Amino acid sequence: MINAFLVFNGQGQPRLTKFYTQLDTSIQQRLISEIFTLVSNRPPGSCNFLPLPPLLAASGTSHSASEPHNDVPSLVTYRNYATLYFIIISTSTESPLALIDLIQVYVEALDRLFENVCELDLIFNFETLHATLGEMIVGGVVIETNMDRIVAGVRAQGTVAKRPVNESRSTGLGAGLGMGGNFVWHGR
Amino acid sequence: MFEKSLYDLIRGRRNHKGHEKEYIQNCLKECRSEIRSQDMDVKATALLKLIYLEMVGHDMSWASFHVLEVMSSPKYHQKRVGYLGAVQTFRSDTEVLMLATNLLKKDLAAAQPTIISLPIAALPHIITPSLALSVLTDLVPRLGHSHPTIRKKTIVTLYRLALVYPETLRAAWPKIKERLMDKNEDPSVTAAIVNVVCELGWRRPNDFLPLAPRLFELLVDGGNNWMAIKLIKLFATLTPLEPRLVRKLLPPLTDLIRTTPAMSLLYECINGIIQGGILGDGEDFAASEEIASLCVSKLRGMIMMNGDANLKYVALLAFNRIVVTHPFLVAQQEDVIMECIDSEDITIRIKALDLVQGMVSSENLVSIVSRLMRQLKASPSSSLAHQQSVQSADLETDSSDEAAPESGRRPKSQDHPPPLPEDYTIDVIGRILNMCSQNNYASLSDFDWYIDVLTQLVRIAPVPRKRETDSDLSGSVPKHLATDISEKIGNEIRNVAVKVKIVRVAAVRAAELIILKLNSEVTPSHPVVSGALKPLAWIVGEYAFQLSSPHDSLGHLLRLIPRIEYPEILTTCLQSVIKLFAHIAGDDQAPWTSERKASMSLLMSRVIHVLEPLALHPYLEVQERGVEFIELLKLTAEAASGQAPSTNEVRQDPPLLLTQAIPSLFNGWELNSVARGAQQNVPMPDGLDLDEPIHPNLNALLSQADSLMLPAQGEDEFETYYHQKPPATSISNEPAINRLAEVAEDVPPSSYQQAGEESYLDADIIARRKAERMERNRDDPFYILGSGSSGGTSTPIHNILEKENGPGLDIDSIPIMKLDLESLSTGLGNSSAPAADKAPRQAKPRQKIVIAADETLGGSGRSTPRNYESENNSDSFTKSKAKKLKQSLLQVDSSHLRELSLEASQPDDALTAERQQRDEAEMAQAMKEVQRLRLEMQRANERIQVAQGVPAEGIVVKKKKPKKQPKLGEDGGEAAAATTTVKVKKKKKKAAVGDGGEGSASTPAAEPVVKAKKKPKRIVQLDDDPGTPVDGL
Repeated sequence: MINAFLVFNGQGQPRLTKFYTQLDTSIQQRLISEIFTLVSNRPPGSCNFLPLPPLLAASGTSHSASEPHNDVPSLVTYRNYATLYFIIISTSTESPLALIDLIQVYVEALDRLFENVCELDLIFNFETLHATLGEMIVGGVVIETNMDRIVAGVRAQGTVAKRPVNESRSTGLGAGLGMGGNFVWHGR
Repeated sequence: MFEKSLYDLIRGRRNHKGHEKEYIQNCLKECRSEIRSQDMDVKATALLKLIYLEMVGHDMSWASFHVLEVMSSPKYHQKRVGYLGAVQTFRSDTEVLMLATNLLKKDLAAAQPTIISLPIAALPHIITPSLALSVLTDLVPRLGHSHPTIRKKTIVTLYRLALVYPETLRAAWPKIKERLMDKNEDPSVTAAIVNVVCELGWRRPNDFLPLAPRLFELLVDGGNNWMAIKLIKLFATLTPLEPRLVRKLLPPLTDLIRTTPAMSLLYECINGIIQGGILGDGEDFAASEEIASLCVSKLRGMIMMNGDANLKYVALLAFNRIVVTHPFLVAQQEDVIMECIDSEDITIRIKALDLVQGMVSSENLVSIVSRLMRQLKASPSSSLAHQQSVQSADLETDSSDEAAPESGRRPKSQDHPPPLPEDYTIDVIGRILNMCSQNNYASLSDFDWYIDVLTQLVRIAPVPRKRETDSDLSGSVPKHLATDISEKIGNEIRNVAVKVKIVRVAAVRAAELIILKLNSEVTPSHPVVSGALKPLAWIVGEYAFQLSSPHDSLGHLLRLIPRIEYPEILTTCLQSVIKLFAHIAGDDQAPWTSERKASMSLLMSRVIHVLEPLALHPYLEVQERGVEFIELLKLTAEAASGQAPSTNEVRQDPPLLLTQAIPSLFNGWELNSVARGAQQNVPMPDGLDLDEPIHPNLNALLSQADSLMLPAQGEDEFETYYHQKPPATSISNEPAINRLAEVAEDVPPSSYQQAGEESYLDADIIARRKAERMERNRDDPFYILGSGSSGGTSTPIHNILEKENGPGLDIDSIPIMKLDLESLSTGLGNSSAPAADKAPRQAKPRQKIVIAADETLGGSGRSTPRNYESENNSDSFTKSKAKKLKQSLLQVDSSHLRELSLEASQPDDALTAERQQRDEAEMAQAMKEVQRLRLEMQRANERIQVAQGVPAEGIVVKKKKPKKQPKLGEDGGEAAAATTTVKVKKKKKKAAVGDGGEGSASTPAAEPVVKAKKKPKRIVQLDDDPGTPVDGL
């Protein structure tokens, strides 16, 4: 299952935090900053998976080849779009490649909701971020991967606020980001 | 007055760069007052701001009651904020949670689907067993809701309920199953069910076997990749239980592998085949062979594919799984895997390392370790960077004339890659040690090389972080000494010195060198923290007779001792100092000249001078040894000064204390490594009674001893006492020269095999290796010597070369040698020539090197080194890990699920039967209790109805912790006025027996089990539970 879904920007400022287990605020922050350190030190062209941050690795999973314990968060997947990092922490029951696609779906859904989404939209509408995520993942289990349904589900909850007019626009998040991705996903 | 909106807050935060902290503190203050406002809009906005600030790291647990207020707002957009607040900030210790139950139940029964969604989505974040118990009845009917979104969310929420309260499944599973079987069900609901089943599946695969046909159907024509992936994962856990599934599954899986355009699905198919044990499992050998090769070749393709690191990573993940069952299949892919070790990406590196560790053999050990060493050397770990900068400056110049032919590689290692993270460095070093020492050094053939590697590692190893416990505090027990990697390296050197006799000299010399370096490197003001010192000091002391210069070593140790930080290291060093001293001073053949007398007393006073401060050391062990040795040395010094030196006429013997007593302290049996656990097998001597007092009148004896003056001739007694031991001396004191000679002949001339060692060993180590090699091969007619020292030997090749190139040629530029180097460093197995070349040479040393096995006692089979290894690595390791992992962060523990069975008719084994019996007994008791409680509640209810009206808002007024007396809380009937809810508080003791009774009216079967599982703490919570509607009344 999915243990946490995080979004933060290039400076490590959180834009969305969603932990599917109860965790103290201070520990949440520590975890975020540990992951941010890991993420920001990635050389170009490296894979979308992170080694476990020290907080999680404390339980020592890196050694054994086969994970006998499927409850333990063992996979940190991230994806970078423009100024933002999207992170999923999950157990070994999730498929690593599919998680990458899941992040893609999330970003695409946001893009549809905000029409050419950028970081500013996310900063000012974090409630919508939560709503969108809530249409995809409940309690750490994925319930929907179909874009149309996700968007419809969010819209059913009320109109999505537009970004404030007088804020300057930065470059779109979705547009320049190779929304195609590496993996084609048919019949989602 | 205006309140800030969330928008204002965020903008303000962006505009206050620099003094953001003040700004936020101000905002928090504002929020604090705003959230108390009567205006629900202001309250909700304040809450939203607080949630935002919480995300940035400002705790808002104090606002939980206000969260509840906003949750109960009738307006959807406010309610939504409230629920978001609950999801983000409620923790298990949030007390108001107990008050939320009724609200949740009410919202679950709401008309609009958007409102129903809120509690459903929030429940997984705030669920507790008692909450699960009370909302279950409201949640299960939602499975039949007309809106598919509600249905699928409900399913997942039920799963999360089941994790804390397994009985959920008993009630919900039949309905979920019904949904799954329904072919007209909305596909996204089906997908959600599959997701949940997959999560449940690995815990209880047996329960889901009956579903296989339907799942298979979904897999074949599901058309949803996410679901297909989950199904494959699920089947992978089912096939081991039902081998017949394999035959059914193979066709669609191979079909998918061949056709799917989605890489993720392709990968999961392969993964499923591997995990499900389908590889080479079936009777149909040819088919499984085909599948196996198809999978492995696809995985290989993933690694080879350039530019996609993700595929590399997942392929390695898959290999890591295959290697457990099919090591040979993975071993074939060694070349590509080895490439991954050098990947820039640490994630990939670690995965590759995991793999490589399992593939080590005597053929590839050296090349694997060389690769790793090169990595470590190329990028000094961050903490070391500053320390090494000084030393690397002179090293660089050193090696530039040393490794001139290597200049091609130089530039590469000079543009330093970013420093490796420290824990990675430690991890890699640990793995190197593991690989080499595996199975009592089974894969290691060249110990000289190993010692050099270890020497290098000591230099590379990151300095352990300062311990938080100050060593000045008396009795401070070392806590994480075990994690000090340099000590582990030192231990390896020690192990080699002890176990492998023929390289003992080399190991001892290496230890000597490292101590020398430690002494010169660390600036005098800095404390010495390297844990390697401990085992190294031991070697130096124990094998003092093999040191090149015991005198110098003693000097180094004496200089190091005052700077040693940790008492554990200090104790070993103290011991070593005395051993060294005994070795230096204990020569009874040499005449007692005045020079000797002078130097001895000088040495002794020096040692005493160093030890003196330690007599007051706070760490008892150090203090004790310090005092012992000081007194002994003082005694000896006295004796030495009393002994007149021999003149030309009179021959005087050196004082016996010096030549006999002290050395005999340390001359005993040779120390061998003892297997772990062997000591426990030492039988207890028959007559030994540990409880018996040593002397019946010990106190009197001690007080007598206090008043006793030391008689002058006590010294003699002391000496004679030690005189009786010499037989032992002869055993251990084999002439060192014997071994030396042996070594010189026996060490195999294989070191030039380790191509490219220049790239990871420091220049001085290489220089030494070269010199040794030269020495060793002087008489080897097949070895081409450097021109200067060609001596009398002349081989055909040598002649030719000399003719062609003239004298004074550089060995390293001979093309033949270069070829050898390259073929080894670039990869194994792809060139046959060096492999053939290698085999005989490696076979030779293997026969000769004797590695002492750990000593065991009869019947202590479990303590053999091999067991020790495997014990360490697999079984107990995982077990202990599993235990530890219980507390892992973020983890959702689903272990309770294991105990629950879904099919009521299924269990027939004795254990379950017994449990059922127990349950029934408990049940009967509980039912009685329920009856009693009902009566009580009924009475209470009557009283309420008589006495009181209903509070305006549907919020329960929370009271303090349970008091002894039953207390009544009242509760607005939100849904309908008819169902008045009663809150009953009872004595704690009562709670332990039958408290669940309040909620059990609707699910009595569930009740006893819950109780059995619950911890007392939980029950107290239950106790406060504002009960469920009491329909029985």
